[in-house]
Amino acid sequence: MGRYAIRRLLQLIPVLLGTTFLINYMVWQLPGDPFAARCGQRPCPDAYINAMRAEFGLDQPILVQYWHFLKNLLTGDLGVNFNNVSVASQLGESWPITVRLGLMAVVIEAVIGITAGVLSGLKRGGFLDNVITISTLILLSLPVFVTGFLLQWLFGVQLDLIKPTVSPEAPFGELIVPAFVLASLNLAFTARLTRTSIIENRRSDYVRTAIAKGMTNRRVVGVHLLRNSLIPALTFIGTEVGSLMSGAIITEGIYNINGIGGLLWRAVNDHDFTIVVPIASLLVLVYLLANLLVDLLYGVLDPRIRYE
Amino acid sequence: MRVAKGAQIAAGTALLALGVAACGGGGSSSGGSGGTNPRAADGTVYIRGCEPQTGFVPGNINEVCGGTINQFVFDQLIKYNSDTAAPELSQAESIESPDNKVWTIKLKPGLKWSDGSPVTAKNYVDAWNYTAYSPNAQNGGWWFGGVEGYSDVATEDPDGPDGPKEAPKPKTDKMSGLEVIDDLTFKVTLTAPEAVFRTKLGYTTFSALPEAFFKDPKSFAQNPVTNGAFKFVKWDHNSQIVVDANPDYAGTEKPKVKKIVYKMYKDDDAAYADLVSNNLDFTELIPPSALAGDKWKSDLGDRAIEGQQGVIQTVTFPLYDKEFGGNADFRKAVSMAIDRKTITDKIFNKGRVPLDGWISPLVDGYKTPGACGELCAYDPAKAKEYLAKAKAAGYTPPKEFPIWYNGDAAHKEWVDATANSINQAFGPDAGVTFVGKAVPTFAEFRDIITSHKMKGLFRTGWQMDYPHIENFLNPLFKTGAGSNDGLFSDKELDAKLREADTATDPADSIAKYQEAEAMLTKEMNAIPLWSFGLQAGTSKWVTGVKVTPFGVLDPLSIAIKEA
Repeated sequence: MGRYAIRRLLQLIPVLLGTTFLINYMVWQLPGDPFAARCGQRPCPDAYINAMRAEFGLDQPILVQYWHFLKNLLTGDLGVNFNNVSVASQLGESWPITVRLGLMAVVIEAVIGITAGVLSGLKRGGFLDNVITISTLILLSLPVFVTGFLLQWLFGVQLDLIKPTVSPEAPFGELIVPAFVLASLNLAFTARLTRTSIIENRRSDYVRTAIAKGMTNRRVVGVHLLRNSLIPALTFIGTEVGSLMSGAIITEGIYNINGIGGLLWRAVNDHDFTIVVPIASLLVLVYLLANLLVDLLYGVLDPRIRYE
Repeated sequence: MRVAKGAQIAAGTALLALGVAACGGGGSSSGGSGGTNPRAADGTVYIRGCEPQTGFVPGNINEVCGGTINQFVFDQLIKYNSDTAAPELSQAESIESPDNKVWTIKLKPGLKWSDGSPVTAKNYVDAWNYTAYSPNAQNGGWWFGGVEGYSDVATEDPDGPDGPKEAPKPKTDKMSGLEVIDDLTFKVTLTAPEAVFRTKLGYTTFSALPEAFFKDPKSFAQNPVTNGAFKFVKWDHNSQIVVDANPDYAGTEKPKVKKIVYKMYKDDDAAYADLVSNNLDFTELIPPSALAGDKWKSDLGDRAIEGQQGVIQTVTFPLYDKEFGGNADFRKAVSMAIDRKTITDKIFNKGRVPLDGWISPLVDGYKTPGACGELCAYDPAKAKEYLAKAKAAGYTPPKEFPIWYNGDAAHKEWVDATANSINQAFGPDAGVTFVGKAVPTFAEFRDIITSHKMKGLFRTGWQMDYPHIENFLNPLFKTGAGSNDGLFSDKELDAKLREADTATDPADSIAKYQEAEAMLTKEMNAIPLWSFGLQAGTSKWVTGVKVTPFGVLDPLSIAIKEA
């Protein structure tokens, strides 16, 4: 398992190089001069455009720019954005908030989703199963921004239970509603995936054997059935960790959370590649690591899967 | 099944949340927890803001996020009255000129920077020289184009930013037209008389800069020494800027709150939700979702503020393009085919006012009826008549005539409505159909406009820099002017504008500008549409709030309610 993990980690390097180059290239290809729109209805003075281009190396060929990017990245220097504010400090402020929001969403998604899935899978066709199936259907059909605005309007404006937006420090309590909104769609998916695989595995041989051995129901479900049935849900949750981080753009916008999503959105609009490229690279890394973690967890959950 | 029981509760809670979310409706209409005013304790108010694009250097700022907060912390020689937009003396004690060419500016004594140093004439002269000097690459440098010696400090790149050549180094870094007389007096010599110069001085670029700036401009931009009604405290990027009332502020009107937090929102809807529930004290951007059907007025009641602001919307023809430039009669036909009143009524809920001239109704020099007159009045019959004339004169419009706009802001609705209005007025057999077309982002849109590659009518607008008719004419319609996006050129108009610029008597100057505006009817290269109204709102905790003609909060007006 150790060697497998190391091999996978080494594979990260070419993937990261490739993706960061593609990201750099795509940002370079964006139509419109990044400095043309910074002066409103007036054209920016030539002196300003020249100075900015020289400062950010935009007057050099793309390969040279990419080389500078790599060199700076390896030395840990992310430089400054178009507004002369350190990129590292902006990432440092917003990244923890996004991670907190993302992890809360994953926890909500896993706990509620898996529990609901197990309950409905065990009592297939029962009342609870029907309720869960219908409510997940509702969640699946609502886009995140609808759920987001609805909860904000209901709890924030009408009932006055929460503040409609999250304060700059984004404490745990204020993030509960946004995290639930962020998790809502995936929660429904997780519940349905778990339900299906529970139903399937309940009829499998090893479960029948376990029951025949005279084990308690609790042990059959908790140890034998659940461990195998979690694999599809886990795959799904794992791959979604990355998209929870990047997909928080809408949720962060609605609740005015000062996270990565908002930073990225603003930077894309301003063509500020100094922010876009590091964030996109970071998200690639998160995706890759989350996938590796999921693969390793397979081995833990299912003894039949071995890595070497 | 102990585990399952706990889980049942969790699942039940989730279901409850879902159920509530799914059907949530009704309920009372006002939020806020009543009782005592939470703002009174620390004297802090929260207003909507956004992340400035540049640091706190007045000469480098030209966008609204930075401009708004800079007006709180930097004072200029004059300021514009929040009610009437009239220019009034602020840091200046007197601004005098016998001929509008040589100006003697005297500062009030005793003005201080937030680091305790006095505001001197030298601060002004140094700041203006720094901004104008082209190697400093300040966005506002061109504002000093009229000062004697400007061409010695600012050089142009001979082949533009895309070419390989570089701009030559300027001869000197000081404009010969600026001269310090004593600590509080300085003299400005212009290359030609300019009647509007005094009015211009309230624009941010004409601020002074303290000694501290020149020691380290980069760190100043992030942590400035200021001289306005409020002083800078801190800037948390993408989150908030905090300013404190300046206890030494010399102005007659003092700040009424202790602290203003300029809270940044990514989304206007989020700010609005905070405003309705009294977590935010002011926003000047009511989102379209709340403007629809005047919902904001019922949401906010007496907390809603309505007004006017010095912004106009126009559409411009690319005169450099034979196919889409059209001829004068065609352009007039298009103008008369636009039903401005119906569009402003239906799409903007009367939040905008139809224009019959090229200048904002708020500024010095506006008159009714406007210069455009019947050419800006909806008249389908006349429009058809002019279209026939245009065709008779040899112009065949293309089958499809686009009206371009940037798709990243709320323009689609009115552009489509305008296109429809023109098509209906022209009738089905006109041989030309107008369609709204979007360019994805504002950056791309401006790129196409400034490289003069527009194929069709395009959206243009103008937000005034200072409240004077001159600001709506010179930058937009003079041959070769910076924002003359359609490459319009009219020698007679240039001459008339020149006459108005150099007239010594202000009233005479305005009359000449009005004559110049009237000359625009000849070519009709830009079609005036409407002037922007202002929709703002406050929380229930504050009172006395005024919004300036520039569409932003007057920071001296906002006060916290007693009870």
